[in-house]
Amino acid sequence: MAMRDLVTGGAACAVPGSSSSSNPFGALANAILGSSSKTQELKGLPGSAVNVPEASSDYRPAAPLTTIPGSEYESQQDQRPDARTSEFLHGFHSTDHGGLAEAWDEIHRSPVFPPAQFRENEAHFEEFERVYNANPLQPTWDGPPQRVLSSVLHSFLGSDQAGVPFRPTALPVLGLSEGDKQCIRDRSCIMARHIFADKSEEYIQSQVNALLHSLDIDSNHQIRGSMHGPHSELEGYWNESQGAMIPRMPNPVDGWITEFSQQRENDNPAAWANSFEQMHGANGWASEFEQDLKMGHMRDANLANLAAMEQSRMLAQTLGQNRDPKFQKSKFLQFVSKMSRGELIIDENQIKPGTNSLAGDWANEYQAQYDVGPKSWADQFQQEELSRGTDNWVHEFSKEHQRPDEKWVDEFSKLNMNDWVEEFGQQVSEGAFGESSADVWADDYDKYLDDQLRASKQRSGASRGVYVFSDMNPYVGHPNPLKEGQELFRKGLLSEAVLALEAEVLKNPDNAEGWRLLGITHAENDDDQQAIAAMMRAQEADPSNLEVLLALGVSHTNELEQAEALKYLYRWLQNHPKYGSLAPVQQADSLYYADVARLFNEAAQMSPEDADVHVVLGVLYNLSREYDKAIAAFQEALKIKPRDYSLWNKLGATQANSVQSADAILAYQQALDLKPNYVRAWANMGISYANQGLYEDSIRYYVRALAMNPKAENAWQYLRISLSCASRNDLFAACDSRNLDVLQKEFPL
Amino acid sequence: MASSLKSAALLEQMKLHFATEEGKKLTKKIGLVYQLNIAPKKLGVDEEIYVVDLKEGKVTKGPYDGKPDATFSFTDSDFLAMASGKLNPQMAFLRGAIKIKGSISAAQKFTPDIFPKPSKL
Repeated sequence: MAMRDLVTGGAACAVPGSSSSSNPFGALANAILGSSSKTQELKGLPGSAVNVPEASSDYRPAAPLTTIPGSEYESQQDQRPDARTSEFLHGFHSTDHGGLAEAWDEIHRSPVFPPAQFRENEAHFEEFERVYNANPLQPTWDGPPQRVLSSVLHSFLGSDQAGVPFRPTALPVLGLSEGDKQCIRDRSCIMARHIFADKSEEYIQSQVNALLHSLDIDSNHQIRGSMHGPHSELEGYWNESQGAMIPRMPNPVDGWITEFSQQRENDNPAAWANSFEQMHGANGWASEFEQDLKMGHMRDANLANLAAMEQSRMLAQTLGQNRDPKFQKSKFLQFVSKMSRGELIIDENQIKPGTNSLAGDWANEYQAQYDVGPKSWADQFQQEELSRGTDNWVHEFSKEHQRPDEKWVDEFSKLNMNDWVEEFGQQVSEGAFGESSADVWADDYDKYLDDQLRASKQRSGASRGVYVFSDMNPYVGHPNPLKEGQELFRKGLLSEAVLALEAEVLKNPDNAEGWRLLGITHAENDDDQQAIAAMMRAQEADPSNLEVLLALGVSHTNELEQAEALKYLYRWLQNHPKYGSLAPVQQADSLYYADVARLFNEAAQMSPEDADVHVVLGVLYNLSREYDKAIAAFQEALKIKPRDYSLWNKLGATQANSVQSADAILAYQQALDLKPNYVRAWANMGISYANQGLYEDSIRYYVRALAMNPKAENAWQYLRISLSCASRNDLFAACDSRNLDVLQKEFPL
Repeated sequence: MASSLKSAALLEQMKLHFATEEGKKLTKKIGLVYQLNIAPKKLGVDEEIYVVDLKEGKVTKGPYDGKPDATFSFTDSDFLAMASGKLNPQMAFLRGAIKIKGSISAAQKFTPDIFPKPSKL
């Protein structure tokens, strides 16, 4: 789980108004929930019944801790009965906080915690202090409330082991800020799902509610939406246009924007207008803007017009909301709204009326019909027409049809203009676009920009096979992150394991095992891009590792990258000690699927008792979409290794892809019985339900998968599609803002 | 394994999807014919042409015999992004990433939910 993110301020859970990484409560919750998870055992995991008492000694190395700035606080805190603490304890016993004292005693004397665990608690404090002390900006250490909080969180975590539900306790006012509360709330929700993976949803809910109630945290959803008002939105659009026009509109415009946004922040529009008029005269602005535009070098006027019109439309809309009469009459606003209607276009650094061309006439005519109708569509459409410009259209058409220009007009009008207009009007009257299509467009546009941003990030990172590390990683500096990561992986805490393993490979970049396990973890967490990136590094470090080669083959198959997948599966064969002799060395680039399949079949005949060969065969048959053979191969492998959860998932996925969704769900269920936190299987369940048209069910499974790994991009996209198919457009906002609380409440599993 | 396009794999799956109840519902719901011109890297270069026939419920390679309701030009990765919901077709169209010919109302029914989602091994 991206638990660390939630608290340490990762992208998935930015808590408005709190810099969570630097607040002591957040750090505390982080340390307690995060490290205590080690003591949890997942019931559904055979062979993972680990008690970790000896591991706690790993937590107490003297060396790394003393090197951290602010560690002077630590020694103070380590001598536990220091003056302030005991005074605090004394205070509690002497006053009326009976409930608290009880809770406190329970935590420290309770038989639930064996002696070994005591040591570990101290270890948690140490870890917490380390995190806390790393931030010297907050020197006022206020011990008592943190201790109280930590006890509560510990007893919450302990309640699973004890087998008794967590009881709400009365606590003194802890003075948690909204941000802290949110952190604790989010984190405990996700954590609870891990700890109580074998319990029902209601049980988890009640547990979390009890905890939150004790801490006086509102368990209801608190608005997490972005704080951006219309101003920053405007700025965003404007910046986007800058992006599109960078070569053409250099610095002068930037300066103007900065000035504009600065002025914009003053809440008083009148004052703003005044001051601007003072500076530039009432009409100076418009001319300045014009000048600036002229100064820019607009190489591609058409594209710029498209962008400029979009921008000015947005600008006009926003500006139009300003009621100040002076402003409403200003030339600038007129200018902008003219731009947005296409009456003015910017062409070769000149501002021209937009009616000087055939396209202009078209546009006017078109617009005349549409003045009543939904503006934004008309605008968009018109922009498209204008932006291509007469020349482009003519070229395109004459190229395609090899006809003179006059014919094009006929052709085109015959083709679909009127159809489109009619169809569009019809759809609008049918309400296909809802009441406010302008808003829809703006939303779509907004989302698109986001997507672009994310896509470009991805392009520069994961898809090129470059591993993208998490921003904040509490395991950096851990003495043995690999061991920690293995432990977390075994317990199914996949997102935590990712962090620990990232810390390991940061420390030892050539550790093939670290990279391999990291890749496996990402694959189980339903992120093939990152899995591939990690596996590539593992392969660099250890080119002949069979598990790595197979995993790369599988992930590339999932990403539909057939040639790559085939390459790695072939290398698996080449590097296999037993079957290597079957594979001729020479062909590496020119692989034929049929040859590879034949070789693997030979291998399977050589040793039918080797489950791995059947697994590779199954993957290969997936590549060639011979699903029946693939299913048979996986079933063969499962006879040999019936408790391999990833095999059950592979079987299920193959069945799902060959449209046997009902069988697939049974196979996934097997996988989940063996590994309850297998995010990939949860997400696959959702896919199978969606492909059968059972959208409500699919939503439940997607949400469940996302609750365990909010970074599973695909699941978010699929969730949105299912929401739309289930006509639950009301939840789009929750989906887009990634608000899992709302979604979980609406679709409990 | 004939085509190296990722889209081809998805369209193969679409073929199977049409055999299911849910796939058959699609043909009733939409009943339109789309032609897809899919280019490996750059729009219009080395295109492979597929027809997704939501009238008859089939996917075929090669241009449509007749007039499709709408014709789309994609790059391979844009098509996948669109089919998986990552890319909004309307916005991609405005950006010039997708080209569309034919009826716009037909084009608007070309949405991610008509494509089956590949399950992951």
